Order: sequence, then structure tokens, then C-alpha cells
Amino acid sequence: MSILLTEEQQLIGQSARDFAKEYLEPMVVEMDHTGQYPAAVVKQLAAQDFLGLFLAGEYGGAEAGYVSLVEVVENLSRVAPAVASIMVNHALAAYAIQRWGSPEQKKNCLPKLASGEVLGAFAVFEHGPTPGVGAGALMATKLPEGWALKGTKAFVRNAGAAGAYVVLACTDPAAGAKSLAAFIVNAKASGLTVGAPYETMGLKGCPMADLAFDNVMVADTAILGGSTDGSAIMTETLALASLAEAAQTVGIGQAAVEHAAAYSKTRIQFGRPIASLQAIQTLLAEVAADCHLARLGLRYAAQLMDDGQPFLVEAAMVKQALARYGAKMLIDTVQVEGGFGYSEFMPLPRLFRDITGTTLLEAPADYPEKTIAAALLA
Amino acid sequence: MPKLLVCYKWVLNEQDIKIRPEDLSLDSSRAKGKISDFDRNAIEEASLIVEQQGGTVDALSYGTPAVKLSVKDALSRGPNRLLWVGDPGADDADALVIANVLAAAIRKAGPYDLILCGEGSSDMFYQQTPARLAALLGLPCVTFVSKMTLDGAVLKATRKLGECTEEVSVTGPAVVSVLSEINKPRIPSLKQVLGAAKKPSEELPIASLGLTPDELQPKAVRKSPKGFLMNRKNVVFKESDAAANVAKLVAALAAEGLR
Amino acid sequence: MAGIFIFSEDPQLAQQLLTPALALKAASAQPLVALTACAETAQKLASLGADRVVVLKAASTTPEALAPAIAELLAKAQASVVLVGSTSSGRHLAAHLAAALKAGMTTDAKALAMVDGRLETQRILYAGLAVCDEVVALPAVATIPQRTFLPPGPAAQAGTVETLEVQADARVVVQSRTPVESEGVDITAAIKLVSVGRGFGKKEDLSLARDLAGALKAEIACTRGVAEDEHWLPIERYIGISGQTVKPELYLAVGLSGQVQHMVGCRESKVIVAVNKDEQAPIFEAADYGIVGDLYQVLPLLTVALKS
Repeated sequence: MSILLTEEQQLIGQSARDFAKEYLEPMVVEMDHTGQYPAAVVKQLAAQDFLGLFLAGEYGGAEAGYVSLVEVVENLSRVAPAVASIMVNHALAAYAIQRWGSPEQKKNCLPKLASGEVLGAFAVFEHGPTPGVGAGALMATKLPEGWALKGTKAFVRNAGAAGAYVVLACTDPAAGAKSLAAFIVNAKASGLTVGAPYETMGLKGCPMADLAFDNVMVADTAILGGSTDGSAIMTETLALASLAEAAQTVGIGQAAVEHAAAYSKTRIQFGRPIASLQAIQTLLAEVAADCHLARLGLRYAAQLMDDGQPFLVEAAMVKQALARYGAKMLIDTVQVEGGFGYSEFMPLPRLFRDITGTTLLEAPADYPEKTIAAALLA
Repeated sequence: MPKLLVCYKWVLNEQDIKIRPEDLSLDSSRAKGKISDFDRNAIEEASLIVEQQGGTVDALSYGTPAVKLSVKDALSRGPNRLLWVGDPGADDADALVIANVLAAAIRKAGPYDLILCGEGSSDMFYQQTPARLAALLGLPCVTFVSKMTLDGAVLKATRKLGECTEEVSVTGPAVVSVLSEINKPRIPSLKQVLGAAKKPSEELPIASLGLTPDELQPKAVRKSPKGFLMNRKNVVFKESDAAANVAKLVAALAAEGLR
Repeated sequence: MAGIFIFSEDPQLAQQLLTPALALKAASAQPLVALTACAETAQKLASLGADRVVVLKAASTTPEALAPAIAELLAKAQASVVLVGSTSSGRHLAAHLAAALKAGMTTDAKALAMVDGRLETQRILYAGLAVCDEVVALPAVATIPQRTFLPPGPAAQAGTVETLEVQADARVVVQSRTPVESEGVDITAAIKLVSVGRGFGKKEDLSLARDLAGALKAEIACTRGVAEDEHWLPIERYIGISGQTVKPELYLAVGLSGQVQHMVGCRESKVIVAVNKDEQAPIFEAADYGIVGDLYQVLPLLTVALKS
């Protein structure tokens, strides 16, 4: 296996950079101010085949693989991480369905996800400590005509914009987290309400809201995989999420360090550019090295996915590393830019707010360590 | 169904080229290759024509053997087939040599109904290749095209010349050079990138083109380029009081005799 | 080999070409022949130093249409150097001639001289990043942009004027020619320019620049974005690599960042001044003097100060 990009992957990365320059640069500041969902840009993501990136050709996907996925996500995130978040959360739903779906489910859902006709979302978390546990946990009750879903899903990204949700629900209150199942739920399902959107610290433009299920009826055919596969689906899909978010984090860090480096060359203090100061060079060097190494780590894990190999531990390793020093990359680059780094007319404050979102969401901070330790101590 | 040919050049990205302060020489070591900007417009225009009315587009490039790196990039932008001529001497080639090589390749691979070029390459910007090519091939030439339609054998084009705009038409094969405003080159989608590998590409060895040594000899020989560095006074007034800055500037202008 | 030949369909440019042509004539002891399609300028060219002026007559006299005929004439005369005025049509013509003569060609020479029986020229590369010398064996072709040279003074003796009927290339049919709507302003002739960029919020705000230009007795110019994207000013006022090139005594850049693609069009100005609120803007590196400040504050103050 090689962690060097193939020609195609390099061209794909270039397309993503060109796309970000053309379509994301002009709208990112405004989107960050208004928090408005960028419907027009999402259509353009679809036109570039980004929404069906790793889906099979028979469903209209591009079959470009997961290394391409992280390349695209990183490059979009250098400009507009919120748009990358929309793409990533859509990808999670698409991944789950492609991986565990029945032939009918795949045929019914994947083409629409690939074309962008339907935006996907992946609803895992709840207000309780773990899915299936606590007062508002989403419970799925088996009835003759299908399943009744009741409860709440919290902090669901793409909520409201999505046309289809892949939802984790607990099928047996006694077993709690051990009996999770995944369901494909149509956004228009009766009894499903999208809560008021959260005003988030960053990644504005990617909607986030709770989903309230008031006896939402879904057919038996809506269950993804087996009725106890939910845990495996959650684990593996969240591992992909870790990887994709790591790509976002690296993209943000890369944009920040490049901006700070350029800035430091022109900012004159004490008669010379601050780039000549040891302290500045140290800060920039560490961020650049962190980005580079993290990028290689996530490319390795993505390559494992392309090779059909297990990747959970490697994904956890990247997630864990970036959870620790992801935000530091922005703390340091803001430090380099000083007063300008703190001013909202410059990009760093927005990237700072975004990177705290990409390093903490989709899994609690200690989750990756448990995965790594489990593999190590097995 | 027209058979089109589009010529493009694989150039160094001028934004990556640095000027060495010691001697103003150019450092291209970090410069990546790209398809020259205006050539992308030509490739796009050719691809749009056949996507609308059928036909084929061959892409042709002459460069050092590094031109091979451009194959998938070019094919992801619409052409059906790619022909390339790789020769280490290409780095020293002037427009005369470039046109000789391209003309010889076209005589071998053609004939074509229409030959498209960009206005000029983003590195050298000779703006000579299209008219030279047409002269060598004995074809009419329409340059500086901002809009064009191909209807059977009739090409109609709008030329944007400095002082006027011309509407022209020409029947039969012709060479066209396009301006950047003619279209917006696509950002290749994933499927277009991945589809490039499935399209045919072929090397035309330079030795197979039947060119004489004289035809491969540049007549305009470039000496080593020197970076252009602005050597200005760089006096900047940046007090918080705008009036104070203005006063200083006015004094400076007076001293320069420019009030 | 015989003859330094010049051609431009632009009468002013044709006269300017005489200057370098006369230098080449002196260096090579060859006659200077001016080709023109414009009978009105023939006498002028003859009086300014052309030994012979040949007025070409044909069904169509655009440079493109005359290309094959001029090529034949040059080949017969065994021309050694051909200088063509660099207009779009001129560059098209010149390249055709170069191919026909199997000659090397320098596009947009900033300087040229005959050295050891070869034409040495200088031109810009890499979108303005670099300059380069070219050594062109004879016969050599070069295009020369407007205002690179001033026209010469009157010659001691006027040359001859003759007319020649030639065949035009009729393959490309010109259906119509529409002159570009021009304000009639030639910013390349302005001694002082106030150049505006997108630091101005809206079209109406350009009045601040106009007031300043009035106080300076300057013309208004702009960046590509202002002309082509915002359409606040006509295209003929935009300066840059695909716009105009200017060399005024004073170039006052207001609210523009100073990217290479713009600066290549004005960097030979005698004095460059910048007003920009962004201290990091590249324009300050390219300027002799600059004010870091809000143009909405600075311009009115500057206008008043200059008027007093």
C-alpha cells in the first residue's frame, strides 16, 4: 500500500482546491455571519460528484474511494469547513447504507444520495450519556406493522436540510446500548420534528438540531442490517466520521499556518519581519509538522479503507492526536498574528471557532483512546 | 460530426516561481506543472462543441517528457484522445520550433475540421503559435476569439481586438485562438477525473515527425531570465492621524515635483 | 539581406516604429522600408525617416488579410528585420510573417538592438515576474507595443512613396466591425493617474477619486475587477497584464491591493503612491510612498491639501 497519492487522487485534490476557490471563497464569510444553509453550494458539490464520492457506480456514485474523500474534505475545509461538514455528515449516512443496506435499500436510497437529490444525515447522540440510555433515549418498539420510534436524537448535523436520516435507536430498554439498531427514516415521516437549530460556536452553515420522534412509524424494511447491528454500525460509521473530521481539522490547520506564515513575512516589528523571530518560527513549524503528520496518518487509515482492511484503530489514533493538538494549531497561529489574528475581518477567528467543532464532535474525547487501548491490550 | 484538435502547453505555475535575491535568477524548483490557463479555455471550447453536436476532440501537446504528467489532467477536461510529443529540447524551443512540431504532428494525426489554441501560453505568452500554425498548414486563422459557433463547415466568430470587435466567418478547416473570456473551464468532476484513465493517449515520438534539424533549431534564443524586482522607496505613512499622513505625502509629492 | 521593414495599421504606432527602425538601419546600413495600408500616413512616414514607403492596396487591407501578400513582399526583398506594431491584429500578422520567413520572432520587445548581425531584444515572461533577453537570428520579426518609443524628428531628406496592388486573403470574411465604445480618453498618454480598485465600496464612491484626480490634474484608471467584474469604469481604463500598460510620472493607487497582474501594467511609472487600509497589501512593497488608512478618510483630506 502507498500513502502517496495516485495521479487521479492528485487531480481530485486539485479539483477540490479549485472548487473551494471558485465557489466557497466568495460565500464563506457571509455564511459564517448568517449561519444560513448554503443550498446553492450543496448543489454544486453534487455537480462535482462529491456527494456520491465513494458510492458504487451502479448507484450513480463516483467510486473514488476514501483517500479521495479525505483529500476532498481537507481541501474544502481549507476554505469552508462548514461546507465540508455538510458533505461529511451526508457521507456518513451514505456509508452506512452502502455498507449494511439490503439490495432494495441501496437501490432506493443511494442514487438519490449520490445525485444530491436527497441530503443524508446520521443521528447517533442523545442528551443522555450514551445512545439507548436515559430519559429521552430514542426507543424503537416492534409492532406488527413495523417499528415505532419514540425519543430524541441530539445535535444532529444536517438536521432540517436532510431528506433522509440514518438513526440509531434502542430496541430493548433492558439491554440498553447493547441492543441498538439503525433505521433509515424519511425526513417527511409523520411524527418527526426537527428542533430549533442550535446557534453553534463555529461551522456555521452546517445545521445542527435535535430530532424529536413522536411515535414515528417505519416499516420493517427500514431497519439497516440486523436488529442488533446498530452498535457495529455506530462504531464503524463514527470511525469514518473521525477520519473525515480529522481531514477537516488538518485542512483548517493548514489554512491557518499558511495564512500566519504569509502574515509573518509582512508584519514588521523592531525593524524586521516577525517571521525572522525564533519564537514565531517555532510556533509555525510545530503547526506545519502537526498538519503533515496528521495528514499522513489519516491518509494511511483511508488507504486501509480503500483496501478493505480494518481501520478502526488507525482512525482512532488520528482522532486522538488531533483532539489533543487540533485546537492548539489555531491557538498558535492566532498568537502569531497577534491583534490581527483576533480580528474578525481576518480568517483565523472563524477557523478557530470551526476547529473546535471538528475536533470534539462525533465522539467523546476519550472514545478513541478506549479503541486504541482495547486493540493494544487484547 | 466535426473532428477537432486542441493544442495545449504544460507549463510551470508562475505563482510558484521565486526570485533569488542574490542575483535575481529564477528558482523553479517548487513550481508545479499545470495546463496553461488560456489553453484550458481552448480545451473547454472544443469539448463544449462536441458535447453539444457530437464529434471528437484530440488534444495535442509538445513539451519535455514531463508533458506525460498532463495526460490525465487534459483528458479529464473533455477531450476523447490525447497525443503528446515529448522531447528534452522542448525547454529551449521558441515559437518557431513549437509551431513546426505541432504542424508536423497535425499532418500525421489529422486532418482536422478545426484546430483550437489558447491566445498564448501563461509562461512565455508569445501569442505566435496559432498564426504560425495556420501559416504552416496553409489554413485560415482567426485569432482573439471571444465567442464562436461551428455549424457544419462554417465557423462564425467574434474577435475582440483592442479598438473594435469583428464578426467573421470562415468556411472549411481553420485555426482559432481563443480569449479567456470565451468560457469558464470546468472543474473536472470526480467521474471526469476517473474517466481519464480509460481514454486513449499516444506518444508521437519526435523522430517520427519527419522534421529536419533546422526546423527544430530555435531562431529566437532565450538568455537566462531575470526576476523583476520592484525597487521602490517604500516610504509608508501610517500614523493614526490621517491628516498627518496626508501632510507628509503632500510634502513628498512636492519634493518629487509632482504636486 | 536587405531592408528594415516596419508595419502598423495604427498611424501613431507606425511613426513610433521608425525610431527603433532607424537605429537598426544605422547599425546595419540597410534601407528602411515602411509598409502601410493607409495612404494618408505615407507622406508622414516618408518625412520622418523611411527611405521608401509602400502603400498597399487590396480588396481588404486589415493586417490579417494582407498577411500573405506582405509575406511574399518581404521574402522577395529578403528583409532582415520586420517590426510590427503590437496590436492584436499586428501580433497575428507578425506571427504569420515569421512563419512564412522561417524567422524567429520576439513578441512585445521592450528594447532591441542589432548586435553582431543578430537582433537582441528584451521582453517580459511569467506574467510579469521576469524579464528576458532574446537573441534572434536574421531574418527577425518583432512586435513593439505602443509608447515603447517616441516618434523620431523629421528626417533630413524625405523618402519615396509608392503604391502597390496586392492580393488580400479572402478566406476569413469580415461580416462587421464595431468600434469599441470609447470615451476618447487615452490613459496611456496621461502624465498622472489615479487608479482605483475594489477598496471602493460602490460605483458612486469613485467621485472621491475623481475629485482627487481633478486636484492633481490626473486621469482615472482602474484594476481589472473594477472594469470587467463591477463595470464601474470602461475597459479601456483598466491597467494590467491583459489591459493597458502605462508609464506616467505619478501613479496613485487607491484601494487596490497591488497584485502582479495589475502592477505589470504600471510598474514603470516614475513615482508610485498607494493608499490602502491593509498594511499587508503588496502595493506598499511596490510603492515609493504610501498611506495606510481608510480611503474614505484619506482621499478628501488629500484632495483639500493638494488644492491649497
